Amino acid sequence: MAEFLIRRVLQAVLVLFLVSIVTFGLMHLAPGGPIQMNIAPGQSPAAIQQQIHNLGLDKPVPVQYYEWLGRLAHGDFGTTFKAPIPVSALLWPALKNTLILMTTSWLITLAIAIPWGIYNSTRQYGLSDNTAALIGYAGFAMPAFWFGIIMQVTFSLKLDLLPLSDMYSRGQEGNIISLIQHMILPVTVLVVIGLAGYLRYARASMLDVLGQDYVRTARAKGVSERKVLFKHALRNALIPIITILGLDLPGIVAGATLTETVFNWPGMGRLFVDMAFAREYSVLMAITIMITVVVIAGNLLADFLYALVDPRVQVGARGGDV
Amino acid sequence: MNLTRKWSIVTAGALALSLVLSACGKSTTTPTPTPAPGTVAPADTGKPVDGGSLTWATASDIVTLNPLFIDDTTSQNLANILFAGLLNLDTKGNVVADEGALAAEVPTISADGLTYTIKLKTTPKWSDGQPVNADDLVFTLNTWKNPDVAAPSISSYDKVDTVKKINDTTVEVKMKEVYAPFIYTLTTAVLPAHILKDVPPKDLQKYKYGTDPATFVSNGPYKWASWTQKQQHTLEADPNYWGPKAHIKTIVYKMYADQNTELQALVKGEVDLVEAIPIASLDAATGKPDINLIESAGPSYDYFGFNLNADNWPGGFVPFAGKKTRQALAYAINRQGMVDSVLKKHGTLLNGPFLPGSWADAGTAKNYEFSVDKAKALLAEDGWKAGADGILVKDGHKFEFKLQFNTGNKTRESVGAVIQQNLKDIGINVILEPLDFAAWIKNNVTPGKYQSVLLGWALGVDPDAESIFSSKYFPPSGQNSGWYKNDKTDQFWVDGYRVTDPAKRKAVYGQLATEITDDLPYVFLYQKNIIEGIRSRVKFAEGDKPQLTLPYGTTYHIDHWWVTDGK
Repeated sequence: MAEFLIRRVLQAVLVLFLVSIVTFGLMHLAPGGPIQMNIAPGQSPAAIQQQIHNLGLDKPVPVQYYEWLGRLAHGDFGTTFKAPIPVSALLWPALKNTLILMTTSWLITLAIAIPWGIYNSTRQYGLSDNTAALIGYAGFAMPAFWFGIIMQVTFSLKLDLLPLSDMYSRGQEGNIISLIQHMILPVTVLVVIGLAGYLRYARASMLDVLGQDYVRTARAKGVSERKVLFKHALRNALIPIITILGLDLPGIVAGATLTETVFNWPGMGRLFVDMAFAREYSVLMAITIMITVVVIAGNLLADFLYALVDPRVQVGARGGDV
Repeated sequence: MNLTRKWSIVTAGALALSLVLSACGKSTTTPTPTPAPGTVAPADTGKPVDGGSLTWATASDIVTLNPLFIDDTTSQNLANILFAGLLNLDTKGNVVADEGALAAEVPTISADGLTYTIKLKTTPKWSDGQPVNADDLVFTLNTWKNPDVAAPSISSYDKVDTVKKINDTTVEVKMKEVYAPFIYTLTTAVLPAHILKDVPPKDLQKYKYGTDPATFVSNGPYKWASWTQKQQHTLEADPNYWGPKAHIKTIVYKMYADQNTELQALVKGEVDLVEAIPIASLDAATGKPDINLIESAGPSYDYFGFNLNADNWPGGFVPFAGKKTRQALAYAINRQGMVDSVLKKHGTLLNGPFLPGSWADAGTAKNYEFSVDKAKALLAEDGWKAGADGILVKDGHKFEFKLQFNTGNKTRESVGAVIQQNLKDIGINVILEPLDFAAWIKNNVTPGKYQSVLLGWALGVDPDAESIFSSKYFPPSGQNSGWYKNDKTDQFWVDGYRVTDPAKRKAVYGQLATEITDDLPYVFLYQKNIIEGIRSRVKFAEGDKPQLTLPYGTTYHIDHWWVTDGK
């Protein structure tokens, strides 16, 4: 177990390092730079060069990378280039806002999708199953921003039941009631879109398990249907779902750019897009690193969850290929 | 999501800086505002009341509020509210020392045009209680022109030779050469010397002044109260402001990532002011009793530009080399049709490099009215003959070229298609080439490597445009990226800023417009209108309404506005 953990952590460090080098290099290869839009007409090439120098952007890319790495080692993400705004001042509030929105949507999605998918697997092509299929198609087919706008027009502008956008009404910052009111529309959008996938996964993986020999054996032995479903089948059906969960975890941190944009939710998705346009390398690097960490953590978590639901899987067992 | 909106970067620091590549032609300028079609002016004769708040929607966050390094619309809008101008502009774009200006009077200029004497009022104070005095002004001008500071707008200041403090309220500025646009540079904000004087010049851009509301000091009617990154700014009326105090207590400057959400927030009443409503979404805000629309021609124009450098053409053959050919293209393009159908009449035809109705526009620009016959005749005179496939040929070269513009800009996409069709009708093959704005500017426009472009300029208040038309400013040192050379206009541009008397300048620019619109480095296309939406609870006198033909015209007299419901 300890050996497994150490191995995984060392792998993670290596992956982080490689990701950071590749990202840093790619960003500097892209046309334009942080001051590109700061270049005013009539500013001579010498004046532009002076500005680039003052901001430390004329150093060779490897040197800039080394300095960035040095600061990171001290837990410092640095500041933006065009003005000295600490990256952490941008990053942590956006992360918090995104987590509030995404975790809520994700938990609701799972709470609906898994039981409903399982139920549908036992009653294929019934009314419930067909409804779920319809939601699935709609969720996949509807662009998030379009669905978001429809929700806004209907529930905010026409019916005037819910706020249009943002996290809080003005003067109510931090008020939980206001937050919940503001969350209803974006969470609905994210849940409907999320349901599309999870409903199908839950149903398909349950169906798969229900067709297995041991389920037939259990039924032949006269085990109650309830026990068959929840004791024999469910645990096995959860394994592929856990894989998906592990893969989706980074999305919770990265945010949902389109939904955040439509509902003016000040989260990570928007921050990333804004900063990419502004070529603010230090913020982009911080976000990339953070997401990489979550990707690795998500995989690790999935491994542990496998062991939890399936005793056959032993975390860290040699030779085992899970 | 309108991503191109971010690139609508306008003038730096001072209002005087003239020209900025405009990605989507949004934003604000010059002299005499063109009367707006369909304007509903919410002029109110009621008495102003104090208190309440105004929520202003914007697309992007500030970069910094340090005036030295401001080079984007949002930062400049906020700075205009937070700082008193040394001088201000009136509705016609004239420089004035009004009650909100730091200067006591319009500076006197010596007979040789080289010495400006600037007198400050004795009353102005910084928000920390320190007086605004000659030391601040001397520091401001010396810092701005210092190459080590690397202020983006240094070119507005680098003709300053020396700055001398005469007494606590008087400063004398000596110029290296006569440079008329400098008077507009003096509409600048002044820097707080007591805060910044000990910061090494090279470290100023990295210094916290301008990004930290807690330690920020300014001298205008509002104070910077708070900043929630990527969400909003609050500005509070300063109770200790030295001038006439602002009526509205709080201005909330709120960011919206999506133009549609922003507009819906206006309709719902969550927002009071939306700066630029896209023509395509105008219906959503039209005919609503609680929304007033203010429409006016903006201080920017779009053009179809020729590249005359042989390096960009196969075999070194520049099809646009002949003046008659360029004129033929101007005749062949249905510009009025663009205004009517693409801009849905929310725009104005433009014939020359000066905005129609501005003081520099003497009405001498030549108007090329749409005429296929004239175009064909001119092309024939210039030696073009139709080839076997109908495409014109001259000296064995087909008349065929690429037209570049920024992808995602719906207006330019449509205008490009109109040009392609119009020119096809006279036997010219145009290949449209939409490109990502940032990469395009860097790889093609700035180095002058293209065959033709569809692009725009956002103009400042001064008409000088030497750096985009003079052969002194070929890439990489200037914006004459089409490599246009005309000895007469080169000289006119210089003559235009070598006299400070506006009447004499106007005469020069009149001659210049005649020459340049005959010679045609560009086909000048149109000015787009700016449409602003303001909730009717926000009131202002007719003379205080947003001046959308001025740069950052929304902030014009915003401290005189009031709200009716006290909220």
